[in-house]
Amino acid sequence: MSGLGDIGIAVQEPGGDANARAVLREIETLLERLLASGEGGSIDLGGLPLSGADYELLEATLGHGEVSAVIDSLGPTDVIETAIPGVWWLTHCNAAEEVMAEFIEVGWCPQIVLAAQEDVSDGLQRLRAALKEDGNAG
Amino acid sequence: MRDETMLELLRRQGVSRRGFLKFCAATASMLALPPSMAAAVAEAMATARRPTVIWLSFQECTGCTESLTRSHSPTLESLLFDTISLDYHETLQAAAGTAAEAAREAAMQNAWGNYLVLVDGSIPLKDGGVYATVAGKSNLQTLREVAEGAAAIVSIGTCASYGGLPYAKPNPTGAVPVSEIITDKPIINVPGCPPIPVVMTAVLAHYLTFGTLPELDGLGRPKAFYGESIHERCYRRPFYDRGLFAKSFDDEGARNGWCLFELGCKGPTTHNACATTKWNQGTSFPIQSGHGCLGCSEPDFWDAGGFYNTLSTPITPVTGAATAALAAGAATGLAVTLANRRRKANARRAHPEVTIDDLEK
Repeated sequence: MSGLGDIGIAVQEPGGDANARAVLREIETLLERLLASGEGGSIDLGGLPLSGADYELLEATLGHGEVSAVIDSLGPTDVIETAIPGVWWLTHCNAAEEVMAEFIEVGWCPQIVLAAQEDVSDGLQRLRAALKEDGNAG
Repeated sequence: MRDETMLELLRRQGVSRRGFLKFCAATASMLALPPSMAAAVAEAMATARRPTVIWLSFQECTGCTESLTRSHSPTLESLLFDTISLDYHETLQAAAGTAAEAAREAAMQNAWGNYLVLVDGSIPLKDGGVYATVAGKSNLQTLREVAEGAAAIVSIGTCASYGGLPYAKPNPTGAVPVSEIITDKPIINVPGCPPIPVVMTAVLAHYLTFGTLPELDGLGRPKAFYGESIHERCYRRPFYDRGLFAKSFDDEGARNGWCLFELGCKGPTTHNACATTKWNQGTSFPIQSGHGCLGCSEPDFWDAGGFYNTLSTPITPVTGAATAALAAGAATGLAVTLANRRRKANARRAHPEVTIDDLEK
């Protein structure tokens, strides 16, 4: 690949990181609301024209916090608490590990992490069935 | 099976409530709804039932079907296609000949008044419609017959929406869009040559979820995807605002990635989601590849002046005040006015930015 330098191509990223700055302000507002009223919120990163520089700024500013989890349902979902407590980065992937949707969620804990009532109730029945089988065997 | 709801279908497939919430969040995102609407999607999905879909292909090139079958979130699409009952599609169905037509008639009869008709291609009217026939019937006849029992019609692609290529001068077959023939049914236009895959599935998802059609603009297009122009969401917009234009495809401006307005870009007058959704798994779109927008999702795009002719008037005055107002608007409103959608995340993962240094490694 010699000579490409002579052609004078310059790959530029003219978008800059202005959109990431807007998202960070939005996160600030959501955090204030969470502290004031307990109500958080969510930002759909897929709906924004974010450049590579925008993502770099978001990732650099928010960082990695104490909690990370993978939810294994319809493909992996990465749940990562950023270094700003209460700000969560959720990446929903399909079974082929392609990203389906990406959100920044502001809240005490993302709802998707909590066990749901019907799943708990299904699980209780499975546990009871297992105990019954054990009982019969013993 | 047909009466099973979305929630039941997912639970039967062993999907937990978490999986369901994820599905709803991804669907809300695909529909360009604010994230707070995910709960409403979940509620609607829990009771939504499987609609019958009949796909009619008229004067078209099958590009729309090619685009649809390359949708880029396979889990979501396969779940959606498990959830609709696609009873007739000449290219995708296994049945052929009489059996295929019988399947269409049976589907129509079973769901009369409730099925969704998807049409791609324009309909020729000249000489009694003889220029396009299937199974001995003219497209005109088939459309009238199938539309009669439809709940709504989705015109897929620019040909079905506005006439498209067959409609271009001198229009030898007398082609017209669906809306010039059917006037007593709700019609939703999903134009583009072809339309962006996820826009097509999103319209189906919206119908599936809420049982209604999404909000439309004056040209019958869903506002969520066609609400803003390519220009408004273009990453080269800052160059337009600064008056920096490429004057030819090989000049310094072109190499620097400046605005392609003077090279005939139709971005300012074209409404579509290409600038945010992009193509090929979120890789790129025409302007990012260095070519102006052709305006393929607008009426008369073949006859609207040369592809390389500059649009006659600038859309917004290029002044300092306008630029400042735009920047302020972006800072306060961007994150909440989630217009169009979706992901460069995969592209980011799969196709990191290539620089000249990488090429020379």
